[in-house]
Amino acid sequence: MSQVSEENGPIVVVEGEVDLAVAPSLREDLEALLAAGHSTLYVDLLGATFLDSTALGVLVTIREQCLGAGGELHLIVSEPRILKVLQITGLASAFPIHDSRSQIPGSTNGDATDPNE
Amino acid sequence: MSDHDDQEMSDRSEVITLSFPARADLVVLARFTAATLAARAGFDIEEIEDLRLAVDELVVSFEAVQAGGTVQLRCTQSGTELLIECTVEPGSDADANQGIAGGELWGADGELSKQLLDALVDEHGREHRDGGPCVWLRKQRAHSGR
Repeated sequence: MSQVSEENGPIVVVEGEVDLAVAPSLREDLEALLAAGHSTLYVDLLGATFLDSTALGVLVTIREQCLGAGGELHLIVSEPRILKVLQITGLASAFPIHDSRSQIPGSTNGDATDPNE
Repeated sequence: MSDHDDQEMSDRSEVITLSFPARADLVVLARFTAATLAARAGFDIEEIEDLRLAVDELVVSFEAVQAGGTVQLRCTQSGTELLIECTVEPGSDADANQGIAGGELWGADGELSKQLLDALVDEHGREHRDGGPCVWLRKQRAHSGR
């Protein structure tokens, strides 16, 4: 897991299998960014190959905290398996989802994509 | 896989059991085992990926996975169907043991887990067995031959 600072806000980059073993550190990283005053966060899941309910639970919790702070939690996802998990759980419409970093708000390439399309 | 191969598979039932310490970093073993068995049974890639996630959800449904104990995974392949049953033997953590004995399953992310299992497998459930909770799933291969 790594972090990238971008103009729009910090991006947490998660790669590989995001499961019970990884979810706690994902939560810690995101909560640290919230505690540092960032209300809008990005999670880059482009390199993620697996996402289970424990990781989803972290994203849902952090999303609520972001909303409470007046921001949002954005996901950057293109992997069909990850999108399928979001759709099954009804969360695809709960997050702003982008299929590349260039698609995040403020970029010249446009706004979030709708994974339900 | 031919119809003849399917017939041979349906004539026999194979049971594979896996036991490992209930630690978060070892849940991958359950996923790997399920995926391997599904591949051997002729499941396609999409079905194998579904099963990998479903088995993960079975194992993490035990709060005890985060607190100790031993995960027991029993996989039964009968023809084109896989039945996977998961139990956790209590470890040394008193609170977790109480949870197992009381049949406390599905942690904070339980609703998400149930939604995933509903979508990914043909049937799943939980019941008390031999004094403790057991979670299980059943998945049928979609295609009879390839």
